[in-house]
Parts: sequence; structure tokens; C-alpha cells
Amino acid sequence: MTPPSRQPAPDTAGSGRPRVPRRRDDRERYGTRILWAGFAAPGAIWLIVLFVVPFYVMLAVAAGQINAFFQTAVPVWNPLDWSGANFATVWHDVFGPGAFLGGQAVRTVVYTAIAASLCLAIAFPVAYFVSRYSGRRKTLFLVLLIAPFWVSYMMRMLAWIDLLQTNGYVNRALAFFRLPGHNTNWLGGDSVTVVLGLVYGYIPYLILVLYAGLDRIDKNLLEASRDLGLGKWRTFWRVTVPLAKPTIIAGSFVTVLPMLGDYYTNQLLSAAPGTTMIGNGIEGLLGSPGEQGQGAALALLLLVVLLVPMGYYVISTARASRENI
Amino acid sequence: MRHPREGWSEGGRRAPREMSRRDFLGRAGAASAALGLGTMLGTRGIKSPIPAGRAAEAAAEAAGSHSTPSLPLPRQNHPVRWPIFSDNRPIASNLKPEEGATLQIYNWVAYINEDVIKSFCKKYKCKYSLTTFNTMTEAIAKLATGEFQFDIFFPTIDVIGQLIETKLMRPLNHSYIPNIANCWPDYKNPFYDEGWQYTVPSEIYTTGMAWRKDKVSLKPSWSMPWEAKKYKGKVALLDDNREGPSLALMKMGIYDLNTTSPAQLRAAGAQLRELESLVNIRIDNSDYTEIPSGNTWIHQAWSGDMASSYEYLPKGTSVDVIGYWFPPDGKGPIANDIMSVLTSGKNPVLSHLFLNYMLNVDNALNNYSYVGYMQPMTAVTAPRLVKEKLLPPQLESTVVKRSYFKTGVMELELPESANLLWEQTWNSFSQGL
Repeated sequence: MTPPSRQPAPDTAGSGRPRVPRRRDDRERYGTRILWAGFAAPGAIWLIVLFVVPFYVMLAVAAGQINAFFQTAVPVWNPLDWSGANFATVWHDVFGPGAFLGGQAVRTVVYTAIAASLCLAIAFPVAYFVSRYSGRRKTLFLVLLIAPFWVSYMMRMLAWIDLLQTNGYVNRALAFFRLPGHNTNWLGGDSVTVVLGLVYGYIPYLILVLYAGLDRIDKNLLEASRDLGLGKWRTFWRVTVPLAKPTIIAGSFVTVLPMLGDYYTNQLLSAAPGTTMIGNGIEGLLGSPGEQGQGAALALLLLVVLLVPMGYYVISTARASRENI
Repeated sequence: MRHPREGWSEGGRRAPREMSRRDFLGRAGAASAALGLGTMLGTRGIKSPIPAGRAAEAAAEAAGSHSTPSLPLPRQNHPVRWPIFSDNRPIASNLKPEEGATLQIYNWVAYINEDVIKSFCKKYKCKYSLTTFNTMTEAIAKLATGEFQFDIFFPTIDVIGQLIETKLMRPLNHSYIPNIANCWPDYKNPFYDEGWQYTVPSEIYTTGMAWRKDKVSLKPSWSMPWEAKKYKGKVALLDDNREGPSLALMKMGIYDLNTTSPAQLRAAGAQLRELESLVNIRIDNSDYTEIPSGNTWIHQAWSGDMASSYEYLPKGTSVDVIGYWFPPDGKGPIANDIMSVLTSGKNPVLSHLFLNYMLNVDNALNNYSYVGYMQPMTAVTAPRLVKEKLLPPQLESTVVKRSYFKTGVMELELPESANLLWEQTWNSFSQGL
């Protein structure tokens, strides 16, 4: 490809063709456009290699066949040969009569809803405090907020196993303060433990996102609101919260999406059949010979369900940014 | 985000579900007949995805107990002698070991003491590379691609058929493996591979009940979890689609752990579900840490796991608190792993020598000290293990006796339709209702 030329075209003399300079302009613009597009290339390649291709493989496995000898999944690459049998089976397992994944689906929704609400109830005040009132200790608070990420999720969950033992530190602390529940068997397959585990595991993400959003709100707008006669609370409800709405939605997604697919929090802290979530269902199917295709189909179904709130988010943020302009 | 297994396999000795080796229950369906036996690797039999629910049950009922599979299903009372194919014969005798070789070993995670491999390599001047897998499903999927050059593989009994028929396994030349004499004589003619043409035994174990003697006042038995109402939340089963239903079957007095009867499996499923309301049953494969930590008081357990469980006791707690029960009459689940040489390997002579090395008693004990799973050898007895300080006397019940090989019940490969029933029985319980 030849680089865009900055020389005027040679045939301008006397021809009176006004298009020539414009064409040069066009080419220049075309050049920069390629340059800008080039910046997107690493991201695009990353997306294709690590998302689009694996996604297609998953689809090919879900709609594929089973090797009769080894009971391993055989992906079918040609969409014309795809079979819907796995999807039908999974649908039947979730919604059909005697479906064993139905309870799991309900639990997933309920646990996630409770955990996400708790996350928001805890994270919002924290983020609000750090962004508005932490003053010169802001950096310290930010470091503390990021601190949980220094320890891997797995390690933090494993630590909880020790803390939550019947004679562990949690129960000892409860007993010390003469609080009820110091005999609770937290790890005995309790849904409360699972929900609290989810809250604990994902709340740092939410706080960080909320902090970033709240910190960006123009203080002048708040001052203006106060100047115009709104009190503290009404300023909060009528100015801060509406301005923070896109952040709240984005933050909720950052926490809700991984919660919906989570299976190890629950495997580590409960391991009871009565507290399994849909992630455990997927994991179980993937581990059963001959049922990997069903596991892939279930994962894809979950993804389709998640597309609905995702679409809402995209539309609402687009609307919000239009309004802000 | 990391996968939990990864984290656990590095910190602990085994990943939580590493032992669910029976996850893989290879099946020889009718489709393999269409394949023609002895097809070369790379020809893949394809069948439609499995139908669900009632359809499978009906199929099993219609097919009776066995659906005339093209691959024989070895049973303790129905031994199988596998064919030796003209294009896959044993290597010649008296060959020199390959020089400058790298022996490629494919084994379960943390299921071999690398010191033993190192000393082998020192003796035969070779290098090694150890690759591990977490489930048999994963291992077979990898081998089936035909893109690896593993020399040694540690399969389970139930996958022998496929590995032989697809010529992934190399028949053995017995002249390289005199140490077979160290094993129980049964292994010169095991029912799953008569004449030990393709395999030598590896680790052997029983499935029993582990419990905390200091907390639980019940008499150990197969029905222990059902009697443990007052220990609610402290009872667990192994996460395994054969072990779980098998326990329920034995509780009902049924010892055919390869049953194909839908009625029996339905009853087993009902028994399992009862455990949920009874004791809020939990499902995990961490028997070897759950019992010593006291987080679980009654746990269906593997003998090899419990043999090393004392190492996970909190400081100051005596081994006396750990109990492992396997019925003294030897009537319960028993299983052994096997070692085999693969056709994909470049070093068949060294591979044979390695198998022989692993069957040396000292090496086997060295391996035991790390793995906790014993090998079925005449010299490896409870008194010897205790004397060599490899096992506390309190856990002698984890040692597998030779008589168990006859009295014990093995969970073996099932006809496909029956296998589906087992998987459904387990899934509909373990995923919660």
C-alpha cells in the first residue's frame, strides 16, 4: 500500500477541476483513519482470539457430537450440521417436568439478587465517603480498597474456611462478645454463608467502580443545588444519585455477572447439594463423560439470559450520555 | 479468576476432585460396532448426544441388563482376555534401553513420588517429563487427539477396552518385568486383563467410612450417614457419580455395584435425596482434610486418602480421633489403578523397565510415603507399614488385604444406557432439588 501523498496531484494545471484538493484532503483523512483504527487493532485481535474464537468453539461443542469410543466432545464446525439436541436436553433439565437444574436456577437468581443488594448497601456509603469526605487520606483509603486484590480470590476463600470452623475465630469472637449464633456451623451447607461469601468476594469491584463514578461528579453541580435551595438529603437524592445511576448500573453488572457464573465460592464454603448454583451445574456436566456438550449448551443459555440486562445497560448508558451532552 | 482445582493442587497434595477418577466411565455403545473393532486411532465413532430422562431409562429397560456391547465388559466373575493385534505386538526381548531418552509420564496430579522417578532416571541415565491430569475424562480426551508422545500412562480399569481397541496401549513383554512376582499373585491373571497382557497394577484402595471417634458415637456401617441426624451439617459423601449411589445401594443391602436396574437406581436416588433433609449432606472429595480438621465428622472416604489424613491434623490432636471403617468381611467397594505403556511413546524399552522399577518393593514404599496409596504387594502389609513408620497403627484399617481382591466389589465399566442412569441418579441428587 502506498502512503497517502502530500504532493498536489500533477494534473491540476488549467484543468479547473475543483475536486483535486478535496481528494487530497480525503486521502489525508483516510490515512489518519487507518492510524486510529490501528490503535484498536490489539484490542480487536485480543477480542477475536480470546473471545470470538473460543465462543465459536463452545457453540461447536454444544451443537456437536460425542465420540462413541472415548465419550469425549467432538466439535462440529459447520453450522449446517449443528444439532439442537443438547440445548433441548438442557432446556428440559432446567424447565421440564422433574428438571433437576430448575432449583439451581432459582437459587442462582435469589442468591445473586440478595448478594448484589447487600453489596450495594455496603459499597455505596463506603465509596461515597472515600470520594467526598476522606480528604487528604484519600490515597490511603484507595490503597486499602485495592488491598484485597493483592491476595488471590482462592486464598481469601480458603482463609474463610479456617475462620468459619465451628471452633474458629468467627464463632469465638461471637462468643466473646456474647452475641447469638456462636454455635453456628457456618460450613455445614448453609445458604447464608454462600451469600455472605459472594458479597465478600465481589464487593471490592463494586466499591472501586462506584468510587470512580462518584469522584467524577462535578462538585459545582452539588454546590449549585445547595445554592438553589435544596437541602443535604434532597441534593443527594435529586442530584448525586441520578448522576451516579450509570455508575451504579455498571458496578452492579461488574459484580452480578461473575456471581451468576460462580461455583467455587459455594463449593468451598458449603458443598451441599441444597445450595448449588447454575455454575455448579455447568461444572458438573463438563466433568461427566459424554455430557460436555450439555455443559456448553447450559453455559450458552446462561449467556443468552445475561444478554438481556446487558442490552439494557448499553441502551441506558447511551441514553445517559446523550442527555449529558 | 483461577479455577479452584489449580489453587488446591499446588498447596495441598491433591486437588479436591482429583480422585474422582471414575468420572470417566468409558462406554462401548452399539456405535462402536459400526466402527469395526481395531479401527486405527483417528477414526472417530460419532453418535448423537445423549437423550435425557425417561428415554434413557426406557432404553435401559428395553435392553435388559446388557445391550450386547461390542467391547466386552470385564467382571470379577467374567474375566476378559484382550486380543493382541498383528500390527501392535509386544517389543522383542533383550533390547537395550533407549539412550539419551526423555521418558514421558502421564499421571494423576500428585499421584507419584518424583523422587522415585528421579532415581530411576539416574539408574538408566535418562531424563523424564511428568504431565498430570485431574480427571480420566481429561486424560482420555488428550490421548485421543494422538498428538502426544507419552510413554507411560496410569489409567483406570474401566478404560482399558477403549485404549486397547484403539491401539493406544502397547502389549507388554513380560521378560522385562520380573518384579510382577512382588505383586499379589492375583495380578498375574486379573479378570480385567487376563494374563496381564497390557497392564500391571498400580495403587489399590477401598472406599469406606471415615469418622471422628471423639465426636461421633455411632457404630460405623454403610448406613452411618442416614443415622447421623444429630450431626447435621457434619456429614459428607464423596463427589463421585459411582461412589454416591453405590453407598445407597449397599445401605439397602444391594452389593451389585454395576447394577443396570432402573428400579434399584431410582431407590438409591431416593435414599440419597433423603440425606439432604436428614443431615444436610455435603459433597466433596477433601475427606483427607475435612476429617482431621473436624469440619466434617462422618465422611465417605477412600482408604488412601485416610492413610495420609493424620498429616493434616491440627497440632496437638492425636491420631486416635480418626477412624476408617471398611467391613472386616471385605464386602465393599475396592479398586486398583494400573500402569501401562502407550504406543505413542518413543521409549518402549525404558517404559517396560520403569514399570518393573515401580513394582520394586522399596520403590513402592517410597512412593507410598508420599502418595498414601499402597500397591498390592505381598510384602506391603499393615505390620510392615507400621514398623517402617509409614502408617500410624490407628489407621491400619486403611490397608487393603489380599483377600479383599476376591471379596470386594469393583465399580466397573457399564453398558452405556446404564451408565446414563447412574449419572442421572447422581446429578439429580448432587445438583440439589
